[in-house]
Amino acid sequence: MRGLARLMTGIWIVLWALFACQPAKDSAAPSEVTPGVSDTEILLGSSLALQGHASYLGKQTFRGYQCYLEHVNAQGGIHGRNIRVIAYDDSYDPPQCLANTQRLIVEDQVFALFSYVGTPTTVKILPLVEEARIPLLGMFTGANALREPLNPYVINVRASYYQETGAAISRLVSDLKLTKIAVFYQYDAFGFDGLTGMELALKQHNLAPVARGSYIRGTLDVEEGLHRIAASDAEAVVMIGTYEPCAKFIRLAREQGFNPIFYNVSFVGAEELARRLDSFHDVTVIMSQVVPPPEGPEDGDHLGTASEYITLLRRYFPEDRPNFVGFEGYINAKVLVEGLRRAGRDLTREGFIRAIESIQDFPLLPDITLSFGPDDHQGLDQVYFTRLVNGSFVLMKDWASIKEQVRRVDSQDLVVRDSHEDSQKGH
Amino acid sequence: MIVKTLWCGTAMKILRRVTDISLKNKIFFSILAVLLIISLAIAFLARWILVSSLISELELRGIAIARTIAERGSSFMLDKNYTQLLTLIFDEMQLKERKHLIAYIFVLDTENNVLSHTFTRPFPPELRLANQVPPDESKSVRLLTPLDQAAYDIAIPVKEGIYRLGTVHVGLNKSHIDHLVSKLRTTFLGFLSLVIVIFFIMSHKLAKYITKPISRLTRVSDELSRGNFDIKLDLGSITEGWDPYDCPAYANTDLPCWHFDDLRTTNDNPDRIPIDYRSCGKCVFYRKRKGDEVVQLADSFHNMVWSIKLYRRRLHESEEKYRSLFDSGPDPIFVVDSTNLQIIDANPRACEVYGYEREELIGTSFLELEPEHGGKSTADFAESGDVQGSVSFQKVLHERKGDKPFFVNLHACHISYKGRPAIIIAATDITEMMEKDAQLIQASKMKSLGEMSAGIAHEVNQPLNAIKMGSDFLAMMVERGSGIPDDQLHQVVTEISAQVDRAADIINTLRAFGRKADLVKEKLDINKPVKGVFSMVRRQFELDNIKIHLDLASGLSPILAHDNRLQQVFFNLVANARDAINEKRDRMHVTEGGVISIRSHEANGEVVAEVRDNGAGIASSVKHKIFDPFFSTKETSHDMGLGLAITYGIVKDYGGDIQVQSTEGEGTTFILRFPAVE
Repeated sequence: MRGLARLMTGIWIVLWALFACQPAKDSAAPSEVTPGVSDTEILLGSSLALQGHASYLGKQTFRGYQCYLEHVNAQGGIHGRNIRVIAYDDSYDPPQCLANTQRLIVEDQVFALFSYVGTPTTVKILPLVEEARIPLLGMFTGANALREPLNPYVINVRASYYQETGAAISRLVSDLKLTKIAVFYQYDAFGFDGLTGMELALKQHNLAPVARGSYIRGTLDVEEGLHRIAASDAEAVVMIGTYEPCAKFIRLAREQGFNPIFYNVSFVGAEELARRLDSFHDVTVIMSQVVPPPEGPEDGDHLGTASEYITLLRRYFPEDRPNFVGFEGYINAKVLVEGLRRAGRDLTREGFIRAIESIQDFPLLPDITLSFGPDDHQGLDQVYFTRLVNGSFVLMKDWASIKEQVRRVDSQDLVVRDSHEDSQKGH
Repeated sequence: MIVKTLWCGTAMKILRRVTDISLKNKIFFSILAVLLIISLAIAFLARWILVSSLISELELRGIAIARTIAERGSSFMLDKNYTQLLTLIFDEMQLKERKHLIAYIFVLDTENNVLSHTFTRPFPPELRLANQVPPDESKSVRLLTPLDQAAYDIAIPVKEGIYRLGTVHVGLNKSHIDHLVSKLRTTFLGFLSLVIVIFFIMSHKLAKYITKPISRLTRVSDELSRGNFDIKLDLGSITEGWDPYDCPAYANTDLPCWHFDDLRTTNDNPDRIPIDYRSCGKCVFYRKRKGDEVVQLADSFHNMVWSIKLYRRRLHESEEKYRSLFDSGPDPIFVVDSTNLQIIDANPRACEVYGYEREELIGTSFLELEPEHGGKSTADFAESGDVQGSVSFQKVLHERKGDKPFFVNLHACHISYKGRPAIIIAATDITEMMEKDAQLIQASKMKSLGEMSAGIAHEVNQPLNAIKMGSDFLAMMVERGSGIPDDQLHQVVTEISAQVDRAADIINTLRAFGRKADLVKEKLDINKPVKGVFSMVRRQFELDNIKIHLDLASGLSPILAHDNRLQQVFFNLVANARDAINEKRDRMHVTEGGVISIRSHEANGEVVAEVRDNGAGIASSVKHKIFDPFFSTKETSHDMGLGLAITYGIVKDYGGDIQVQSTEGEGTTFILRFPAVE
């Protein structure tokens, strides 16, 4: 019996060995040589909106990071290498972005992708990033798709739209006690993302948007959305869009006498929006930002990094004013450089990502630090609120003053409307 | 040639090994082998079916995808809008489930230049021309290995109308299929292992269920063959503590065991149809349970063992019975081989009587105990081969150790001893009896002698008187002084001598009569004893007015007998005849002369002697009793009644026969027959 048992076991093992084992075929291992890294240069790729209706965002991002990188190169680069970024224009068009990215990866053989702009564009190239296993760092978008599920190659710097809208909604509902909140959004991935974030936030307060209005990316057809929202008599409108259509929406709303609190997410482009709303003095436009305002030395808390940005921008792109978008690009570059520095001379993609993940409490500003980790691929979590005052967005200290203004505006609103009717009646 | 022999040799060895493995393992291995073969066959078949179906299925999918791209991409190709084309093929590729399926997609123009592709590396140049669609075909499928990854390349031409714009290539991951196949393989293997394990356990149990009782039975059977009938038959649930004495047939071998005996007797009488196989109301031992073959076998074995036990018991008892009979028999018993008359066995009494040790007796020929054999003997009987019969020999002479002769009565019958034909011979020592017989005869003889004395005296008187007369005459002549003439003297002297001879003769006859008989018979003319008796009683009987007539034939064949004993016989007969005549005279007051006639002749190889008288005869009521000892018709008590008994015995001794014919009131005739010898 024992002999038999042994024999049986032997047969079994043989069977298993014959059939179960199969040479496991690995997917093609990436080549040993790290692309984009030479003895003298680190090559990065960027695809952003340098032309078209969102060109401000792309251009400013570009200049923001470029001024810092040039500064670093001027100082000898990182571990003896210069940093060069190949930037292609995708005009905020996802197919173009895709083509650009493929070109960057296959033909230009860049080391990493850097500083992309826009949700639909960046989200589109995610599969490429995954397949090519190339790091993607610093995107001018708070899209949720870039953050969940955690992608090992994608590194965000800025806070997400969910965080932005969440903070805004909680202010609007808790502080201002508003209940009727509408949403106006771009009809694409970016808009949907913001819409989802907003609805999630409202749900937390047991609320829902009273109205929804949208426009198609690249167009200015905001009328229908405005009509719907105005008819709902919303107290606040959350706007997920770019500066041009958002500005038009606000203008038309004011002309129609519809004057809720307008709230924009950071992507809109503060300066351009402010410029277009210059003539309006009695609109309440709030904007959330994910980086602190670069300017405003009178407040006294923007020393250090911000002033560095201002200085460098003035040096390399003197005709540009410091702005939130550019500051973000600048911060992206700072993170990039820190990561490259930590990765060392022996630079690999994996090593670079590990290096980024090792950044803990990196001081951006005295009270603003960046932190990453193996489970945390987002550096900043802060959301700032700014308000349009005298043609520019300034940091809001508290929301009490808004309250007053709301009431004042409301009553003013009535007066204005009355006078309108009076004039119509032929006063 | 050598190789062939070697191979054959090992094959034989293996074959022998195979046949020697236990039944349990045989069952297990053979079924396992079949199971494995079937499973493997199924596995391969399933794999083949699965793989081919999967491949064709995936091909179809790939073709569908490629066709979709061809449809939607044709406008982009015409517009040379390669960005959109790229987006298109990317979108097609990146749909959730397809990520694993599609390895790559690329689009070529008519000159096989790459318009768009989904690689994140430089486009592998060999793919451009690797799989081309012939002009009149609508698709082409080939297995390629770009970048060391196997993929099925499906090429579909992009058409605008009938004009070909280019080709769409969709590469399907072969590993996708391989993954599925290996999953199948693992599942199958796991299942197979499980089946084998289950089967292993089950077949062991099953085989054990079959072989365990068989091995146990084998062991029990071995024990039984060694004669150990007391081992416990723990077959299944048979009760322990099997006490054979529970069965009445075992305890008492005279009782039949219905189960055992019924069948045998039925077989002996085939005409007798058993109503049913009878059995005790509650048989303690035979059983027949309901169950499968193993249980039946166990029961049958149990029953067989019980039958053997029973049978052995009976045999043992029987053996003991007869062994004690043999050992303690009061008479010597020999077992003699029929073919060579060698003694096979002898009982202790035989050793005692014959004076030999048992070991001396066994192996020696039986004939050594018989110094001579005349007439019928054991040898003849042995040869006769008459299995049923038995025979007895009276008064056979045997010799004990030291050649001391003695007489025995033998009784022999055929038996079968240890498979050989043999004879059992019982020998009764009759020496004492014979001596008593002899003494009896002697006593009777003395009595006869006493009776004869008067006659003898009378007979002897005659010659004495003659002698006296002669001697007186001579004395007278001498006293006269005249002298005796020679012739007168001669005559007288001769007469005296003759008379002396005569007297001597009578005395001799008497002496011979009185002598104890020799043991050994002699050849004898029957007339001799007749004449001897005659000479002794003639005168006396004449005084009694009884005449004796002799009618003796001459040249008779001799018989084997003793002279004086036959004399006794004849004397006895004539004495009885005289008594009968006297009785007739007394009773019937007849005064005629009595006549006794003795006649001898030979006929049919027998010598016959008749003694007739005209006496009173014998009443028919007592005729059959006259030869009985101590039987007498005479009133006076001084006759012992042994005469005729002894006569009878003597005649029988010589192998003869005596008959009596009688008419009451007229006379009696005794007829004696003896076998004649040369």
